[in-house]
Amino acid sequence: MLKFLRRFLKEPEEDEQVRLQEKFAHFRRLLDNNNQALETMADMEEKLSGDYVFDSSYLYSQVDNLGEQVSGMVASLNLLTRNRYQSDLIPICQNIVAEIREILEAVPGIPDTPYILPLSALSQDLAPAVGGKMANLGEIGNRIGLPVPQGFAITAAAYKRFLEFSSLAQDLGAVLSQADIQDLDSLKTISRELQAMVRLAPLPPDLEEALLQLGRSLPTPWLAVRSSAVGEDTEFSFAGQFATLLNVHADHLPGHYKEIVASKFTSRAIFYWKYQQFSVNALPMAVGVLAMVPARASGVMFSLDPHAPQDNTVMINGVWGLGQYAVDGAVSPDLFLVSRRDPYPVIQRRVAHKPVALVCRPDGGVEEVALDPEQAQAPCLTDDQIQTLAEIALELEEHFGQPQDIEWTVGEAGNIIILQSRPLRLSAPAFAKEARPPAPEPLAPPLLHHGVRAVGGVAAGRVHRFRHDDEVNQIPPGAVVVARQPSARLVLVMDRIAAIITEVGSPTGHMSILAREFRVPTLVEVGGATTVLQPGQLVTVDADAALIYPGIMAELLQRRTKPDEEWRNDPVYLKLRRLLKLISPLNLLDPESPEFKAANCRTLHDLTRFCHEKAMDAMFIPDLDKALDSSRISRLKTDLPLNLFILDLGGGLKVSGQDQVTEDDVLSRPFQALLRGFHHPGVTWAGQVAPDLKGFISVFANTMYDMGKAERGLGGKSFAIITPNYLNFNSRLGYHFGIVDAYISEEKNDNYISFQFKGGAANIDRRERRAKLLKQILDDLGFSAHTRGDLVQGRLVKLSLLETEQTMELTGLLMAFCRQLDLALASDAVMDRVLAAFKNEDYSLKCLRPQEAAAG
Amino acid sequence: MQEDKMPERILVVDDEPNMLRLLKTILMDKTGYEVTTTNNPLEVSKLLQESHYDLVITDLKMPLVDGIDLIGIVKNIDAAMPIIVITAYGTIETAEEAIQKGAYDFITKPFRKETILITIKRALEWKRMQGELAELKKQ
Repeated sequence: MLKFLRRFLKEPEEDEQVRLQEKFAHFRRLLDNNNQALETMADMEEKLSGDYVFDSSYLYSQVDNLGEQVSGMVASLNLLTRNRYQSDLIPICQNIVAEIREILEAVPGIPDTPYILPLSALSQDLAPAVGGKMANLGEIGNRIGLPVPQGFAITAAAYKRFLEFSSLAQDLGAVLSQADIQDLDSLKTISRELQAMVRLAPLPPDLEEALLQLGRSLPTPWLAVRSSAVGEDTEFSFAGQFATLLNVHADHLPGHYKEIVASKFTSRAIFYWKYQQFSVNALPMAVGVLAMVPARASGVMFSLDPHAPQDNTVMINGVWGLGQYAVDGAVSPDLFLVSRRDPYPVIQRRVAHKPVALVCRPDGGVEEVALDPEQAQAPCLTDDQIQTLAEIALELEEHFGQPQDIEWTVGEAGNIIILQSRPLRLSAPAFAKEARPPAPEPLAPPLLHHGVRAVGGVAAGRVHRFRHDDEVNQIPPGAVVVARQPSARLVLVMDRIAAIITEVGSPTGHMSILAREFRVPTLVEVGGATTVLQPGQLVTVDADAALIYPGIMAELLQRRTKPDEEWRNDPVYLKLRRLLKLISPLNLLDPESPEFKAANCRTLHDLTRFCHEKAMDAMFIPDLDKALDSSRISRLKTDLPLNLFILDLGGGLKVSGQDQVTEDDVLSRPFQALLRGFHHPGVTWAGQVAPDLKGFISVFANTMYDMGKAERGLGGKSFAIITPNYLNFNSRLGYHFGIVDAYISEEKNDNYISFQFKGGAANIDRRERRAKLLKQILDDLGFSAHTRGDLVQGRLVKLSLLETEQTMELTGLLMAFCRQLDLALASDAVMDRVLAAFKNEDYSLKCLRPQEAAAG
Repeated sequence: MQEDKMPERILVVDDEPNMLRLLKTILMDKTGYEVTTTNNPLEVSKLLQESHYDLVITDLKMPLVDGIDLIGIVKNIDAAMPIIVITAYGTIETAEEAIQKGAYDFITKPFRKETILITIKRALEWKRMQGELAELKKQ
């Protein structure tokens, strides 16, 4: 009875072939998604190089794509494995995608601080609370110790509280969403309307009280009130047009504060908020309140003359009275060019005729006054003041690590006060500039005096030995990173390390390109660096002259440059970097390891790797016994050193139900062609590819670890899924990954060959070189091919049966030919030789041994 | 032939402020061009009337006034003004429409820094040649 019931309830017998075909369809989808996901990742990583311009919609669309591709893989894997990974993989994938979306959508929060912070408590790290302008001024006063006015900052937290308390946040949002903007005039009308709303809104009583009290606590009741919006310098190009109120009275500070907040609602800002949704957190307005300095003279200076940086001078512009006239050009200012070398002589002075000045009115506000002719003609600064200003400019440059644009004023007592300092943008020096000759008198003999400059500059720091990509997080800030071989992964720390030295590599390598964008002084081909330089040792790297000194060479260091401002401050770029940390690192490196499990997937890359591996297992391993029972999977008996399994979906083999088949049994046209290519008499399968001596030694020295893996991988499996016209060939040899997917028939329009190759045991330079080589060959064969990193993909479509078949044969030949070539491609010259050999139909790789080739 | 030593002036229009900041930084870093930016396409005609520009670079997809509309607005003010349109990936049809409406060229986001620098250079050269041609015809 029970037996009967069991048989009755049992699912009907599935047709094994239908089931396999469905399975194959899921597998195909998974493979497609895998390819697309890897391509998306490579595309995003490529954007880290700094060579690209992209916006946040790029990030959104790529994250969407990746989310679909990877969750699609997870879904296919579950379909393939009867939901074996349902309970663990799906939530892991969802969590990673959710974390990524959180980063993507994050609007920077407003730090929870008191309403008011005294200037004496400010430093650069408080920029998110008080805006860059006030944070910098605090840094100048407190950390550098230069004179700045007394004052305080009204924080972003106060702004947020104001907008929430007065329900302005809601009201402004409502007005913006209903606003009917047709032209510039309607925009201006709304701008005025919103500004009026801000002026009328009540301040929280405790904020109002604090403003009155603190405003009156300054040494003078006359104040300068200026905007210091958070993110003004980085995210919002329409910022920097906000109000500054000069010489206003402390009794009315609450009103002045609202005036500055109102100035945030310019036409441009409104346009932005109307269409990007108004958020109280975007561009929060912090405000600086400073004791007004009744200025005798004021102006701006650049610590390095941007028009002629090679002249090495400080450029000072000054006028009588308040500085506004020096900035807006109301009066042509005095110009002083001062040498940047002690004792700072004035190299050039141009004293202008300055008939008027802007000064503080005794009853508040500012006014223009006429100057007597004598003063109008006189320089507004004494030589002592000029010299002091130059010294200050250099001190600020030294502290902030790059040339500065500085606002200064001279008080009535002749004392100099700094009002603002910010980075000065200089044109980038040309990359191909001649290497500078070494310093005439090095203070100590260099430790190393060879290498190839990848990125110029000078830097000092403690040596940190970098051994493996996984250890990138262990690199301390300010380190001189010393490694055997270049690693593009160093990009993750390039904003905080001092220099990079590698024993091999090239200035056009991936890492070098990245280092260049970050302006990290970098030397490659520094043989012996990992033995000569001791971990923890202090060294100075002069990348321009390819010299590495023991200790700190102060004189050389004066030319130190910081990472490229353009990228360091770009929020979209920084967001991409944060996103990629959850996307591209690969933690699941070895499928044989017990750690290779779903629970250890921490990135999308891990997920793709895991799904792909498990899908191939699911296609072949668990079903192997069953399939052998049902005569579906056969092993190919061949003299090729390949562990090759065949799944015939019907008609691809002459025979069925055999454990082993021979090549003669193969009917699949594309597979036949591929095997013909593998068997090309010119190809040597036996033995190692012997690279040239130099290349071999450096490969051997630097990829020992990976070589081991490559060896082990030679026993890896290859799978061919076939029909009479179709082939999906998946070959995994250690770190190499080759896929050929093809359809060959009489119907020209259906014909295609897709080819993909990735990975390898050698370093990324060599792998990329192989990718380049393959691309060139594929192009020659008529493929449309492209590379991304070490991944090369090509596709050829709609050729005739004969042409497609011939190309398929060459594709097989190419796979055999290039199988270990990455180890040998030590330079572009070697690559060119190999390319030439392939074109000459010499597949022996004798070209790697020039003497032999010449002798033969 | 007259050598114009004045730096060439470029107006960049994009509704994403960060994109403007980035483009401006790149152009200022790598070239001698003068760059004005706005996130507000409504401002463009005012800006063009207020001062002289040699080139307009505009995003295609913007609220209220899109890049296609903007081409008409710019051409009405200065028919000889070269316009470079920035399009998102996968919107090639709109890019072609922009060219038909008189844009000089289009460039697809994301793009290489070098690509935009080269496109700008070509556009400015084209403008100079157009100017010289017009001069020759007058003679």
